Amino acid sequence: MSTPVLAAHAVTKHYRLGKREIPVLRGVDLTLQAGERLALLGASGAGKSTLLHVLGLLDQPTSGQVCFDGRPVHDLPIAERARLRHAHTGFVFQFYHLIPELTALQNVLLARMMASSMTGYWRQRGAARAAAKALLEQVGLGDRLHHRPAELSGGERQRVAIARALLAEPRVILADEPTGNLDSHTAAGVVDLMFSIQQQRGIALLLVTHNEDLARRCDRIVRMQDGVVLAEPTGT
Amino acid sequence: MIAAFSPFVALRYLLARRISLLAMLGVTFAVWSMILVNSVFTGFVGEIRADVRRGTAELLLTDLPLDTGYEPLRAALEADPAVAATAPRLRHHGLLQPLRTPTGRGPAAAAAELQFDHTESGFALLLGIDPLREGEVTPLRQWLERSTEVFAVHGAALEPSRVLDEPDPARREQLLVPDEVEWLARRRAGLRVDHARTAHHSTWPGVLLGWRRAYHMGWLREGDAFDLLTAASVPTADGGARMTTFRARMAFAGWFATGYRSFDENTVLVPIETLRTILGHDRADPQGIDLVTDVAIRLQPDLAPRDAAAAVRRLEDRAQAALPPGSPPCRVLDWQQQNIVFLGAVATEQAMMQFVLFVVMLVAAFVIYAVLHMMVVQKWKDVGILASLGGTPRAIGAVFVLCGLVTGTLGSALGTGLGVLSAQNLNTVNDWLFATCGVELFPRSLFDLQQVPVRLETSWLLLVAIAAIALSLLVALLPARKAARMNPVQALAHE
Repeated sequence: MSTPVLAAHAVTKHYRLGKREIPVLRGVDLTLQAGERLALLGASGAGKSTLLHVLGLLDQPTSGQVCFDGRPVHDLPIAERARLRHAHTGFVFQFYHLIPELTALQNVLLARMMASSMTGYWRQRGAARAAAKALLEQVGLGDRLHHRPAELSGGERQRVAIARALLAEPRVILADEPTGNLDSHTAAGVVDLMFSIQQQRGIALLLVTHNEDLARRCDRIVRMQDGVVLAEPTGT
Repeated sequence: MIAAFSPFVALRYLLARRISLLAMLGVTFAVWSMILVNSVFTGFVGEIRADVRRGTAELLLTDLPLDTGYEPLRAALEADPAVAATAPRLRHHGLLQPLRTPTGRGPAAAAAELQFDHTESGFALLLGIDPLREGEVTPLRQWLERSTEVFAVHGAALEPSRVLDEPDPARREQLLVPDEVEWLARRRAGLRVDHARTAHHSTWPGVLLGWRRAYHMGWLREGDAFDLLTAASVPTADGGARMTTFRARMAFAGWFATGYRSFDENTVLVPIETLRTILGHDRADPQGIDLVTDVAIRLQPDLAPRDAAAAVRRLEDRAQAALPPGSPPCRVLDWQQQNIVFLGAVATEQAMMQFVLFVVMLVAAFVIYAVLHMMVVQKWKDVGILASLGGTPRAIGAVFVLCGLVTGTLGSALGTGLGVLSAQNLNTVNDWLFATCGVELFPRSLFDLQQVPVRLETSWLLLVAIAAIALSLLVALLPARKAARMNPVQALAHE
C-alpha cells in the first residue's frame, strides 16, 4: 500500500474548560490515500470537525502525530504549517467563510495571494485572474464574478468556496459539512460538482458529514463517536 | 516580505468602512493644527528674538564693581583681536517729568505736580550711552528710524530724531537738539529766552524715549523740556552715606523703537556724561571717573561660534585683569544670556504649546487604535479564514498594521498639505475676515506687526509628518498583534 497523503496516528486533543480537561479526540488513527474520497461520519460533538482542523494543521494535537506524505508535520513552526496548509490543503466549510468585502473573484484570488510576495503576485496576476475565472466558470459562476457574498445565494457561496479551495491546486480537500447549510436540491448540486472536480483532478477528499446518503457515495466511511474511530473503513 | 493578500485585504477593509475616514481625518486635523499653530508661534518667536537681538548688544561686560572707569576696560577689551568695538554703558533709575502746562494753571515751569496716570508712571531705567560710540555696538540709528515705522502702523506720521545727524561731535555727544528748537521749547514752557532766536545755544542734554512711552506721556514735540530726577547715596562728612536726589533739565530729542517691548517701555536713553555729572563724576572734576556699570561689545563679523565662545571667556579674563585686585568676578554675557529670563519664558511657552499639540496627536492616534481594535473584533472570523487559506500570523497581523499605516500616511499627507496651505494663506484669510466680518484671528496691532508672522520650518513639517505616521504605525501594532495571535479555529467558530 502506498504512503497515505494524510495520516493521523494516535491523535488526542484535549480542551481546557476552567479547571476541567475535556478530551475531544482520544487516540484517533486515520489515513487518507491520494485521490481517495473518505467520509467521516458521526453525531454532533463526536470530534469530526476537531479532527479535520488537526489534520488541516489549523490546530495542534495534544499528543500523537499528523503526517503529510509520511512526514510528521504537526509540530512544524507555525509559519511552516501555514505554508504547507496553503500549498497542499483546501478547506470547504459549512458556513462558506467568504470575506464579505471581496467579490467572488477576489475571494477566489485570495488563495493565490497567500504565499506570493506583492511583486511576485503582480508579475503573475494575469495568469492568477485567468485561473480564478476559469474555476468560477467551472463551478457555474462565470456571470457572478463581481458579486459580493451578500449578493449570492447559499449554493453560489459554497461554489465560490469550492473554487477558492481549488485555486491553489491542493492535494487534499477538507470539507466540513459542506452541504449542512443548503437545501437538498442545492446540496446535491454542490456535492456533484465537488465530487466531479475531485475525481477529475485526483484530489484526496475528506468529507465530514452526518448525512448517511452522502457518506455512501464515498470510497470509505469512518465513523466517530466520543472522540474515537468506531469502525474500520468499509468499501461501498 | 509582505504577502500579497495583506495590502489587498487592508485596502478593501479601509474602503468598505467609513469610520476609517474618521480616523484619517483625526490625523489630518492633528497634523494640520500642529503645523499651522507652530508655524505662527515660530513666526512670533522669530520676530520676538529678532526684536530682542536688535535691542541688545552682542556682548555685555557686566557685574562690574562700583566706581569702575571705562578707559582701562576699553583698552583691555579692544586689545583682543576678536573685538571690533566697545561702548560704555551706565545704568541708573530715575523719574522723568515733562514740563507741560496743566490746564488753566499758568506756565509749565511753575507747575509742581508730577504727571502720572492710573496705569503708568514716569519712572524709567536710565541708560547712559555715549552717542559717539553706541552706534558701533548697537544699531542706534536704526532704532531711531524704526520708531517712524512703528508709529506709522498706529496711524501717526513723524520724522525720526535728528540728534545723530548733528555735525558737531561735542553737541552730538550731548544729544543736543538744534538751537532754534530748544529756543522755541523754552518759550512754550514759559521759560526765559533770549530775544534773538539765532543768538540761543542749546544747553539741555537730549533724552531719547522708547516709543511705548508715547502711550502714557502723550505726544511730545522735539525739544520739549523734561526734568530728570534721580537719587543716589553720597558720602557724608562723618564717613557715612546719605541718599540725595539730583535733578537735571533735559530736552526731548526723539523716539526710539527696538521692537523689544520691555526695553522700549522701560528704558530711556540719556547722554552718559549727563548721568555721570548727576552721579558726581563730572568730566571737569579731576576726582571724577568715566563711570560705567557695563560695557557693550561688538565682535568682529563672521566669527565662528566656537571662536566667539572662546572670545567671551578671554574677554572675561581680560576685563577681570583690568579691574582692581580683589574685585568680584565680572561676567561677559551674549545677547541671549542678557535676556535669559524672557527668552526662556518664550521657549517654555513654545514647548508647552507643542506639548498640547502633541496631546492632540495622541488623541488622533487613539482614534486609530480604537478603529483598528474594533475592526479586529469585527473581523475575527476573517482572521480564521485567512489562516485556513494559509496566511501566516505575521501576514495576518500585517493586514491591520497596513490599515493603520495607510490611515496615518494619508492623514499625515493631507494634514501637511492643508497645514502648509493654511500657513501660506493665513494673512489673506485674516485680512478677508477683518474686511468682511471685522474679526481678526490674530490682532496684529497688539504686537505692532504689519502681518501675522508665519514661519514654516521644513524640519518641523518632516518631524510632524513622520511622527504622525510612526504613531499610527505604533498604535496599529497592538490590534495587529491581537489578530496575529488569534487561534484560527476559535476565530472560524466566532459568530
